[in-house]
Amino acid sequence: MMSQSPMFWRIVRRLLTANYGRLFVILLALGAGAAITSSLLNLQIDAKKRLTTEFRALGANVIVAPRDASASSGGATLPQEMLSKIPAENAGKPVPAVGFLYLIGEVAKAGQVHHQPAVIAGVDGEGITKVRPGKRTEYSSELEQAANACEVGAKAAEQFQVHAGDSLHLRNQGRVATCEVFAVLATGGPEDSQIFIRLAIAQALAELPGRISLIQASVTGTPDVVQSFIAALANRLPQADVHGIKQLAEAEGKLYNRISGLLSATVVLVLFLTSLCVMAGMSNVAIERKNDVGLMKAIGGSVRRVVRLFLAEAILLGIMGGIVGSAIGILGSIWLGKAVFGVAARPRWIVYPVSVAITVVVSIASAFPLRRLASVRPANVFRGEA
Amino acid sequence: MFFRLVADSFTRRPKRKLLTLSALALGMAVATAALSVSLDVGDRLAQEFRSLGANLLVTPQADSLPLEIGGVDYRPANAGAYLPEADLGKLKTIFWRFNIMAFAPILDVPVQAWSPASKNWSSPGVAEHTTLIGTWSDHNVPIPDGTSYETGIEKTNPWWHVDGRWFKEGADECVLGISAANKFGVKAGDVLNVQVSGKTGWKPLQVVGLLSTGSPEDNAVVAPLSIVQALAQHPGEYRRLYVSALTKPEDAFARKDPKSMTPEEFDRWYCTPYISAIALQISEELQGTDVRVIRRVAEGEGAILSHVRTLLWLVTFSALLAAALAVGASAAASVMERRTEIGLMKALGAGSGLVGVLLAAEQLLVAFVGGGIGFCIGIVPARLLGQRVFGFTPEPRVFLLFVVLVLAALITLAGSAFPLRRASKYDPAPILRGE
Repeated sequence: MMSQSPMFWRIVRRLLTANYGRLFVILLALGAGAAITSSLLNLQIDAKKRLTTEFRALGANVIVAPRDASASSGGATLPQEMLSKIPAENAGKPVPAVGFLYLIGEVAKAGQVHHQPAVIAGVDGEGITKVRPGKRTEYSSELEQAANACEVGAKAAEQFQVHAGDSLHLRNQGRVATCEVFAVLATGGPEDSQIFIRLAIAQALAELPGRISLIQASVTGTPDVVQSFIAALANRLPQADVHGIKQLAEAEGKLYNRISGLLSATVVLVLFLTSLCVMAGMSNVAIERKNDVGLMKAIGGSVRRVVRLFLAEAILLGIMGGIVGSAIGILGSIWLGKAVFGVAARPRWIVYPVSVAITVVVSIASAFPLRRLASVRPANVFRGEA
Repeated sequence: MFFRLVADSFTRRPKRKLLTLSALALGMAVATAALSVSLDVGDRLAQEFRSLGANLLVTPQADSLPLEIGGVDYRPANAGAYLPEADLGKLKTIFWRFNIMAFAPILDVPVQAWSPASKNWSSPGVAEHTTLIGTWSDHNVPIPDGTSYETGIEKTNPWWHVDGRWFKEGADECVLGISAANKFGVKAGDVLNVQVSGKTGWKPLQVVGLLSTGSPEDNAVVAPLSIVQALAQHPGEYRRLYVSALTKPEDAFARKDPKSMTPEEFDRWYCTPYISAIALQISEELQGTDVRVIRRVAEGEGAILSHVRTLLWLVTFSALLAAALAVGASAAASVMERRTEIGLMKALGAGSGLVGVLLAAEQLLVAFVGGGIGFCIGIVPARLLGQRVFGFTPEPRVFLLFVVLVLAALITLAGSAFPLRRASKYDPAPILRGE
């Protein structure tokens, strides 16, 4: 096409600029197609990644437990150092991991004599709220800083009649401790009847210095990523039993496949139909060029040259519409990502050339009916016969 | 004459009209497909989330504090309160009864167990401590209105897999957690003897399946509720109830405290399937219970579901927008190319209004035909998509056809409006001269 004479390009320029209304309509259709292509592609990639993060609202999905923890003994423990062996990051996403030490002690509100048995859990590690999601019905960040701060499950708080700011008296086989309640937690799970204190206090109460019962971690990623994390960690900690929580793993896998399948299918469907729609709209515009073709043929333009002219026009239009539309689409998807997930979608640059290319292809394909113009008889056109 | 002119424009250039029509039909197909996916799939997705398991837990109100570590309750066998099993049918009489997807009561007791199958010369069968969980596998619950409802642990905990089969209701059978099976050296078909700790008399149960749950139940024995009630000497009672309910994700309104609501607000809250409203309705029906929301499930579900729904609607709207622009462009083109015709009509004395009405009538006809065809085209991929992704076929909705037709009419009219306005300003003479 580059070997064409300057005349060729002059004609192309005239074809484009002769009727600004028409140019605007074509660019609008192509640009809209390009915008939706790029924004949906970008959003789709981003939404799938975001989805795995969303699933972490479900809490811990990996458990590290002692190997011989039989239900009846409940006494087996792990060394506390194991907590530091959990990678802090996996595939660029932080991995919150918390060590727990459970014991059954006797608890009473400070100043009361009657103690009742309750489960006391010592916790240590980053991201307790991520690992153990729930709703804190009472919370004070000031009190949380205290060395003997503790968090009480909703049911336990009701039983002991304590609120944030009160203190609890804990005892276990002659060893005693007190703690200040900084939060009341409702999870709907067994945590509701537990009391969470700092690990060191629990270890002192249980007389198990440097030991923990288990580690809970929350790993972000597709089911495959989580599975390989578990396998790698199991290799690293041969003395412990590393396993995923099947309830979450299965549901997450299923939901992830469903939702991402749904997204992909919808996007493909919408893109396909939109391109067809743009194509039909464009063809409508293209057919209008009968007069031009008739004139060119009348003054001696060969069919090949005429078709080439229109192809060049279509490619140029496709590039223009694509570049502008795709840019708008990507900017739009950033905003859409913010609207849906509260975090701006990261633009992925690969999407840009892809959606420009798709637009050019659609534009060329919509010039397809022009092939029929090869059979246009100039005389008929000029007589005004269609 | 008016209708003749309209009809004429169709018969004279059928191919041109066909192109406009196909652009419109395709655009409306996008709209139909996207809308029907958004409308149907949202509801469907909420059901998929039930694979996360129960989102409500019912316990006795007067219960002592459970001493639960790793799924095992360390309270003595007779501590704590129990609830009557006979009341459970009332769950299906609450306002949102159709949103209760499944429920399963649990009665667990510490037991000792041993199996004759593991007895051989090297390891004589020794009684081991474990937990016996009584529940329903597939139980027919009579409902006060005279019907009955099938439910059980299989439906509340869909991730529990049984290698073999589930026990039959009321039979002396059990399924054995996979870790416990390894410990006892028992496989499906063997007999396991259990004895409630502190009581006498061994009860033989036939192991009919091995249960893998990935949770502490892997160490337990699961048997029919009625058998466990007899063994624990708590006939007709249970300790915990798991309920799996279909809910609407909580929004700002749902988080308000029901006690501080005005009566109208309370009615609106009560009649919306928020998880907290369903919890209240259950505790009203089942006396002396404490109904708690399992936050991890309910909140995770709510967050993801509302995000995916918003996402689907945004995809739908952007698809609609793109289709509208393309169809509008096509409509504009079809008006623009008829400049000569418009010039001629005006030269013959037609007013701008008449020309506009004529062209609009033509476009509307195209819109209705194209919209109808588009609806038929669009419904096919939407059905396929529903079938492939969710294994169900969305029903075509008459309401959607109506929406699509109105949409088609609006888009074509909007697309034609701009060139029509320009056309009304045309001076016929230069157009007819071909300038």
